[in-house]
Amino acid sequence: MLWDAFLQLLDLWIVAAALIGITTGVIIGAIPGLGPTMAIALLIPVTFAMQPVPAMILLLGVYQGAIFGGSISAVLLNVPGTPSSAATAMDGFPMARRGEGGRALRLALFASVFGNIFSCLVLMALAEPLARLALDFGPAEMAVLMLFALLVIVLFGGGSRLDALIMVLVGVCAGIVGLDPISGTPRFTFNSFAMESGFQLIPVLIGLFAMSEVFLQVFNRAPEVRADVMPELRSSHVSVAEMWRMRLTLLYSSMIGTFVGILPGIGSTVPAFMSYSLARSRSKEPETFGKGAAEGIAAPEASNNAVTGGALVPTLALGIPGDAVTAVILGAFMLHGLAPGPFLFEKNGLEVYAIFEALLFSSIPTVILGLLLFRAAIHVTRIQPRHLLPAIAILALFGAFSVNNNLFDVWVMLGAGFFGFLFRRSGFPLPPLLIGLILGHPFEQSVRQALLTSGGKFAIFADSPITLILLVLIVMSITTSVFVYFRSKRSGRDG
Amino acid sequence: MKITRRFGLALAAGMLLTPFVAQAADNYPDHAVKIIIPYGAGGTTDTSARQLASQTEKLLGQPIVVENMPGGSGANAMRAVAAADADGYTLIAATSSPSFVTPALRPVGYDPLKDFEPVLNYSGPYHGVLVKADSPYKTFEDMIEAAKSGTSLSFGTAGALGGAHLAFTSVAKQSGGALQHVPFNGASAATAAVLGGHVDISLVPAYRDLVQDGQLRLLGVLDGSRDPEFPDSPTLNDLGYKAEFPSIVGILAPAGTDPAIISKLETAFTKAASSDEFKKFMTKLGQPVRIMSGEALKKTISENFYAYQEIAKEISK
Repeated sequence: MLWDAFLQLLDLWIVAAALIGITTGVIIGAIPGLGPTMAIALLIPVTFAMQPVPAMILLLGVYQGAIFGGSISAVLLNVPGTPSSAATAMDGFPMARRGEGGRALRLALFASVFGNIFSCLVLMALAEPLARLALDFGPAEMAVLMLFALLVIVLFGGGSRLDALIMVLVGVCAGIVGLDPISGTPRFTFNSFAMESGFQLIPVLIGLFAMSEVFLQVFNRAPEVRADVMPELRSSHVSVAEMWRMRLTLLYSSMIGTFVGILPGIGSTVPAFMSYSLARSRSKEPETFGKGAAEGIAAPEASNNAVTGGALVPTLALGIPGDAVTAVILGAFMLHGLAPGPFLFEKNGLEVYAIFEALLFSSIPTVILGLLLFRAAIHVTRIQPRHLLPAIAILALFGAFSVNNNLFDVWVMLGAGFFGFLFRRSGFPLPPLLIGLILGHPFEQSVRQALLTSGGKFAIFADSPITLILLVLIVMSITTSVFVYFRSKRSGRDG
Repeated sequence: MKITRRFGLALAAGMLLTPFVAQAADNYPDHAVKIIIPYGAGGTTDTSARQLASQTEKLLGQPIVVENMPGGSGANAMRAVAAADADGYTLIAATSSPSFVTPALRPVGYDPLKDFEPVLNYSGPYHGVLVKADSPYKTFEDMIEAAKSGTSLSFGTAGALGGAHLAFTSVAKQSGGALQHVPFNGASAATAAVLGGHVDISLVPAYRDLVQDGQLRLLGVLDGSRDPEFPDSPTLNDLGYKAEFPSIVGILAPAGTDPAIISKLETAFTKAASSDEFKKFMTKLGQPVRIMSGEALKKTISENFYAYQEIAKEISK
């Protein structure tokens, strides 16, 4: 079966489809506001005339490429192209500012490929049993998992924990605006129809990270980088030994990405930050994180790319898509006569395995394309910020508008930019705010769903093996961080 | 000099305007027609409307441009079309929720009955009443009996105050059974919840393969008519309840559009929607083709709008 499927791939059209898909994906992913969802949706009609296998390879190539492409602008400009690459910017941008942009991009590329291969192998080997496992995650399990994710970001995200907690709560509060998820009544919408959908993630993200950078530079009297002190471009070599040293980080991050990807509705941003926090807490030199640590780039990249394979598990095995991107991919599979669901593997096994293998082998063109692209892209770091700012501002405006073709989102973006500017000026970290905004609404929804199904009894949160394991993890992370806190306090007093 | 220029302009404008005034319907359409999709690109509503548009533009002789305007569960796009010029060049591919469910519940900024002129209905996925295959309830009556005898059953839907939620609330009222609503974020999440045993029942579309594979059992459908693929599953009306959630996907024009234009559009869209090509496409997408005239669609929308207003009143009591 696997060999037959492989033979199907030896076709010029399939190779061309993979190349075109990945290139398009990388470019679209690098532009803020144009995520993989839009790219795939726009390309579906183009694939109507194609055979099913090359068509799906083209579309999945766009998906993979876009997730990686988002990290290019995150590393070089500190403007995440996709929400999931916001974590990559935390160490990628400082490294690029040191003149090691090429190295940062290569680390991101190799980690992405690792995450991709890992999750593809999981998808091929375990799609059906894992899809069953995903079903065991009901509202109660999701609620505890999200609580755990929020906790990890606050405790191990780096910096002051109180600051992180405040920012998480700001994010959660911003997520309350909109329609109540259970009763459907408007909350804090001030009778405005536009506010009923709440604050959309992408305009907020672009505002917080990109627009606030513009404001910071505009209000900065002394420009940060002068032409004469521009960083020298340094060697971008990344050795195999260096990647090998990070093997555990890569493995854990890929596991987090794949697993969270399987669960519906969380997306790829949260696992990226979770992996970043885990890598930092496991590191022997946690103080280098945020200043251009290699593992701070590798961990989120491996994780957010591993989400692609994970997210396809329930989509293909059950016909249940976890998020907007996989919902669009599901539609594309159906249009090409490969209806995802329980019969997919029986009826179209050969095509499906051919598509999986193509996902695996697409790492080869991704690496080649990536390395070629970097040669040109890296020179962006040699452009002075004041020359880049207009371009960033315009990209931010267009990006926010293009999400829903809605002017309201542009105002949200500008507002988020202003708040982001204030927070950054006063030294508050932005990632916890983003995570609070992403998880706040679904966390509230799952807690309330769980209580509705249990008739209001809180016991449901300690009822299943999954919630128990997660509760143990929560207690362990709290005790660890309390222990580390007291130890560091004592050693501080001794020294 | 001035006068001649002004006169020339007036003449030119007059020449441009005359055909519009005199024979707007005869020349319709003389430029591209726009269809607004109230949801994002790539979803089933979007994909099917794009296919219908590409087939209809050949019949109309002018391109049909499809534009996505997501947000507010479809209400944003409806508001925009309600306010658009009623010249037949701006249409909307509307679904049940912004046409008669949401407007019955809260102010949305448009009147679904007075602001639109229905052209035709062409699709609408059947919503099923589904339980897990190992559930003790073999029929709809079994389930209601259980709900009446003390066990509170939970039912998942795609979201709070959707058509499925309201229709089933009405069933609970009429039967006196204890049915607890649990809203999810979309139909997929509600399907996953019933498969995982987190809720007892789910009211969702796109159930065919999971039912045929023996993972879910279909106890009934919420529509006014039975799903042709499962003719044995009763509708709520068959079961003796005065409740339904008819699923529509149709084309609406702003109210005040010239009736001649409406009938031109209806003829063209109906021809395209009843073609084998469209049927084949929709089957692949797992969507039914359900053609209804503009008149019939108008009736469905207004009947259900009033019915849902009644249910909404009861819920808020």
